[in-house]
Amino acid sequence: MLCSCEAPGGISPIFPQPVSPNGQDIYDLYVWISIPAIVIFIGVELALLWVVVKYRRSKQPAGYVPPQVHGSHTLEIAWTIVPLIVVLAIAGYSFYILQKDFQPINNQQMTVTVSGHQFGWDYRYENGIVVHQEGTLAGDVTPFVVPTHTMIKLVFQGTDVIHSWWVPAISGKTDAVPGYDNYSWMKVDKPGVYRGECAELCGAGHSTMQIIVQAMDQKDYDVWVRVQQSGEHG
Amino acid sequence: MATDVLPRPKAYDETFWRPISLWLTTTDHKLIGIMYMVTGLLSFVIGGVFALIVRLQLAQPNLKVVDAETYNQLISAHGVTMIFFFVTIFLTGIANYMVPIMIGARDMAFPRVNLLGFWLVPVSIILYYSGFFTGGALNAGWTGYSPLTDKIFNKGLGVDFWALSIIVWAISGIMASTNFLTTIVALRAPGMKLSRLPLFVWAQISTSILLLVVGAPLAAAMILLEFDRQLGTQFFTTQGRPVLYQHLFWFFGHPEVYIMILPGFGMISEIIPVFARKPIFGYMSMVAALFGIVFLSMTVWAHHMFTVGMNTTVEGFFMLMTMLIAVPTGIKFFNWIATAWWGSIEFTVPMKFVFGFLATFLIGGITGVYLASVPVDTQLHQSYYVVAHLHYVLFGGSVFTIFAGIYYWFPKITGRMLDRKLGELNFWTLFVGFNGTFLIMHTLGLEGMPRRIATYANEAWAATNFIITLSSFLIAFSVLIFFINVIRSWNHGEIAGGDPWEANTLEWATSSPPPPYNFSRVPPVRSFMPLRDLREAGEVPVDLAPIEAR
Repeated sequence: MLCSCEAPGGISPIFPQPVSPNGQDIYDLYVWISIPAIVIFIGVELALLWVVVKYRRSKQPAGYVPPQVHGSHTLEIAWTIVPLIVVLAIAGYSFYILQKDFQPINNQQMTVTVSGHQFGWDYRYENGIVVHQEGTLAGDVTPFVVPTHTMIKLVFQGTDVIHSWWVPAISGKTDAVPGYDNYSWMKVDKPGVYRGECAELCGAGHSTMQIIVQAMDQKDYDVWVRVQQSGEHG
Repeated sequence: MATDVLPRPKAYDETFWRPISLWLTTTDHKLIGIMYMVTGLLSFVIGGVFALIVRLQLAQPNLKVVDAETYNQLISAHGVTMIFFFVTIFLTGIANYMVPIMIGARDMAFPRVNLLGFWLVPVSIILYYSGFFTGGALNAGWTGYSPLTDKIFNKGLGVDFWALSIIVWAISGIMASTNFLTTIVALRAPGMKLSRLPLFVWAQISTSILLLVVGAPLAAAMILLEFDRQLGTQFFTTQGRPVLYQHLFWFFGHPEVYIMILPGFGMISEIIPVFARKPIFGYMSMVAALFGIVFLSMTVWAHHMFTVGMNTTVEGFFMLMTMLIAVPTGIKFFNWIATAWWGSIEFTVPMKFVFGFLATFLIGGITGVYLASVPVDTQLHQSYYVVAHLHYVLFGGSVFTIFAGIYYWFPKITGRMLDRKLGELNFWTLFVGFNGTFLIMHTLGLEGMPRRIATYANEAWAATNFIITLSSFLIAFSVLIFFINVIRSWNHGEIAGGDPWEANTLEWATSSPPPPYNFSRVPPVRSFMPLRDLREAGEVPVDLAPIEAR
């Protein structure tokens, strides 16, 4: 079950299918930026190819003297204004998503404090449960269990150096920096196992700081909570 | 042009192999330039070897070619070597050689400062590598984020040697920048008005301003870091403000990207007009775009920090300024294409590298817009997507322009042409190897592979990483071909003559290599293409005339 989330690997042109609304917004923004990006990429590469094929000296008539053009105000204005409009549009839409999804929230149904250390993550739930996700590459790390369809506020803390918590299928990364709290949130709509790892170089064990988020329906989650609280570790 | 009757130029032959009397004490900007360039290229080889070991380690999941601690030292050393000791140093060297000649000067304004500035570079390099012989070099990435570089988490001397090395490097850079700016302001030949400066010289002005402004904050960050480590202060420690370090470092670090690419932009602006036989399109807008980039590049540093939890309005500002850089960069791009348009283009090796640069740097520019968008950046930041992006900018950008510059100016510096067949092989293997290595790193990053991990367990990433490692060895092969070409051609290459390309600017209006003090008589300057003006008027600069006619 833990490996059911593997996509055909290594050459995907986009993030994994998001399972949290903030991840979905990033995904959509990425797709949206790609429209002008691909148009500009193809347009400019074709122009370069055209120059290479069409204007090479061997293709020109003998004695061809190129027109000695020094510039054009119209063209300069055009290729200043058009890219300006494109990047302003991208910046505007990005800013909208930024304000919408990246403020610390206060409509959470649940809060978990995620603290990073060399080398692993601790997840402190409000009901006193603590999941210790010690880093290893030898097998799966202990999963961070969350209920589905629940707005979860994540509070990040660093206890030694800077770490960065990243599960691509959920959303972007958030740094766990010593000295202050950093915030993010998630609301996973699909039960499943989602993988990630620490994204900020934090020492020799950096690559072992694997992350597994296991999202369960509320019913299963309640069972998990009862098991944790009765001290039986599954 | 009767170049074939010229004997092999012997500007320095009598003293060439006398290291003390010539190389250690010279104040000739050309010899200092060569020393800079040789130092840069040696660093390129060392940094490349580090990269190859890194690629071997990542070729398959769970490999143990090197342990994690060594791996962290290797990636740090790769970054430090390539950024501080290869690209920046090489570009300082080529500018040191070319700028005075291009403006018709006899030397740099402060020749002794020039020599001191150069010799600080080997000091800086030796300081940095000393870490490897004293129990381990810097292991926190080339950025050296605190608190990972704090004494509590990093007891060895590696971090201290690195910090000292960077302080010395920054002082050297500030010396060189001051010297360039003074030279260009004060020592231009008669007629060389600012509006007639070659665009490479304008690029060097922009670069020097940047390094002058951001070199000191970098040194300050390193000094504060050493205070933390040696005197027990708490600027950047776990009890202090780790993010402050990032602000200081990136206030240098982002403009540094432009310090490494603007001289390359200048070279592209020199080379396209020569081989397309057209003047540069939009000279003034090219200059304006350079200064637009200089200004904007100092207002974007926090885009490296979008995940530390800044105020979203502040993040929005840095996002906007970052995206705006696409505008002046786009202007330069379109002007280059317009210069080549309708041209009569000769695809010599330097011109091939120019088009290789245009084709690849475009990708680095476009992915830069994705990375500037804060929400998207929280996904891409610190992933292999960033590794791909920065190599498209620094390798597809800076390194391709450096190769273009070398193939273009090697005849001037040595008096001999680089071999064209080997050059073509060099270009095509590099182009294929480069794209094979870095294109699919984008997709690895999108799928969640963070940068700077010593190994990975995910089998899904195995095939992609294996292709990347294979391609990286094609790059190594290409660089080997390049060095064979340089060494062979330096001794046996075809004699170039003063002006083998029928170029436009003053460095070609003298012999190859130029004599000490560059010109017997500085040619008249009537436009930004003084040599072409002379050619069209049927005049021959005195240093290009056959010996018997002088």
